[in-house]
Amino acid sequence: MALLEEPIKEVRTLQNFIGGEWVDSQGEIRDVVNPATQKTIARVPISTKDEIDAAVEAAKEAYPDWRRTAPVSRARYLFRLKELLEENFEEVSRIQTQEHGKTIDESRGETRRGIENVEVACGMPTLMQGPHSEDIAPGIDEWIIRQPLGVFGIIGPFNFPFMIPLWSAPYALATGNCVVVKPSSEVPNSQTRLAELVDEAGFPPGVWNVVHGGRTVVNGMLDHPDIEGITFVGSTPTAQFIYERCGATGKRVIAQGGAKNYMVIMPDCDVLRTIPALMTSFFGNAGQRCLSGANLCIVGDDKFYNSFMDGVVDTTSKIIIGYGLDEAVQMGPVRDTEKRERIIGYIESGIKQGAKVRLDGRGQVKVTGDYPQTCFLGPTILENVNPDMKCAREEIFGPVMSVIRAKSLDEAIDMANGSTFGNAHAIFTSSGNNAREFQYRVVSGNVGINIGIVAPMAWFPFSGMKNSFYGILHTQGQEAVRFFTESKVVIQRWF
Amino acid sequence: MKMHTAAEVISFVRKLENESADFYNTLSQKYAQSGDVFLSFAKENGKNVTQVERSYYGVITDAIEGCFSFDVEPDAYTFETKLGEKASYSDALDRAVEIENKMIKLYSDAAEQSQTLMADVPRVFKIIAKKRGNRIAELGSLLKR
Repeated sequence: MALLEEPIKEVRTLQNFIGGEWVDSQGEIRDVVNPATQKTIARVPISTKDEIDAAVEAAKEAYPDWRRTAPVSRARYLFRLKELLEENFEEVSRIQTQEHGKTIDESRGETRRGIENVEVACGMPTLMQGPHSEDIAPGIDEWIIRQPLGVFGIIGPFNFPFMIPLWSAPYALATGNCVVVKPSSEVPNSQTRLAELVDEAGFPPGVWNVVHGGRTVVNGMLDHPDIEGITFVGSTPTAQFIYERCGATGKRVIAQGGAKNYMVIMPDCDVLRTIPALMTSFFGNAGQRCLSGANLCIVGDDKFYNSFMDGVVDTTSKIIIGYGLDEAVQMGPVRDTEKRERIIGYIESGIKQGAKVRLDGRGQVKVTGDYPQTCFLGPTILENVNPDMKCAREEIFGPVMSVIRAKSLDEAIDMANGSTFGNAHAIFTSSGNNAREFQYRVVSGNVGINIGIVAPMAWFPFSGMKNSFYGILHTQGQEAVRFFTESKVVIQRWF
Repeated sequence: MKMHTAAEVISFVRKLENESADFYNTLSQKYAQSGDVFLSFAKENGKNVTQVERSYYGVITDAIEGCFSFDVEPDAYTFETKLGEKASYSDALDRAVEIENKMIKLYSDAAEQSQTLMADVPRVFKIIAKKRGNRIAELGSLLKR
């Protein structure tokens, strides 16, 4: 199949979007490099504290009018945005592939997931209605009004450059708040394009702002007295840091961290359907997602183990690797060389601790097309792994499958619960009893039953437990509505 | 080379639908007696593409196995749309039946492979395979006229 056309054709220096204006940053400029081709595709500013302050000020100024805009009118802005996203669906998807490296199927999936959050938030006139009790005492009524709070900061990660800010922003806006989005400086083009569409949809100036950058922008958000709350998705240490800083400065916070997901395979699973699900789980997005499978935990005797692993290795070894704009490609590169080296370090630590390499993704990778090897890694399968090894405990965030054996479902659940993370463990089985036992006992915010990527739909909260999540309420759906609003209780009596 | 990703299979389906639409458009000009039927087939091919793309773009998410859903060997489904200069009306209809059978096989096989891995797409594939099955009966009746 031919390579799809790249949407970004010329290298431009990205601007911040503040108060409805596209403005140059005074900060340092860095190159944004396509990980597959190694070509520079944009230049991103690392904005200054003054610039984040200006964005917060613009949002604060826009807030009173936006808050007074009727929820149904605010929803109409989102309807317009939804239409524009559908019209530009393919372009925004290809931008994600061009800047991140994921396959075009994965990018289109990401776009759809992002749009679904806009769609759900379009229902805000009913979603934010509060309960009402008539006659709590004779002649006295009581009800709840959900009111917006002001300005929120949204800090996006590199692995889902388009979708993740949309787990928050549509809900924040539809409930009457204003936002400042800080995209990952590694992949800033998707959020820039999204902001252009927001602009085209006609949102009032200052309601949606984008400031590119790094730590200065993040710290500027965390310390700013006019920011009411923060949503963040990224690594656990940063999530913990953000959670603590928000606690110290009195902000609401949703901080989603890392993961180490167990995929538990029972001998009664449907092998032919399980293996493709595992391919997506472990190697989709080149393993760079918090819902990825990390530890493959196989329950069963040697015969089942050997036969199952032969199937897994055979399928894995046939994965087509290359530039995600080639429609035939099943796995793209990792985002940059630093991440590649880090992943290799984990593979080597596993080997040192006694793991056996069944499939080695290091070294020369068979890449479809004429692209530099720089960021490509093949899928790796490590066998003979035990839960205490570093490669089984820590988040690798790459295409590495660590295979662990368990004698029983009980032992597999204990292993999964022994992890410091609790994001998205899953079981593959044809037994309802096994499935129920697993979902009942496993400590995991999201639980999969014959599902390799346990991604909650937009109207469900994106949950997480233990070191995978810091906060109480979650992004998406009704919980996002509650996060972005204060519940005001009114008790009324007329004399 | 076999096709495994949803993106690739959707593009392949689009290509074959467009090629067969061109084939029927050509037939409609060449054989006026059945022109309406051939034109309606060509138009329906366009609708099929829309239907497939709509279901794919509507449900493709990062939670389903988009990159690992299929195992399609394209050579098994490709067809020749050019007719020889001396080809008769009956030859043209035989070629049309051949094309329809290939398309039915493609849609049926792809639906079967992706049944539990892709949402909505296999269902649309089955619907189109059924519609194309009806065409074979219609082509048969043209031959008898």
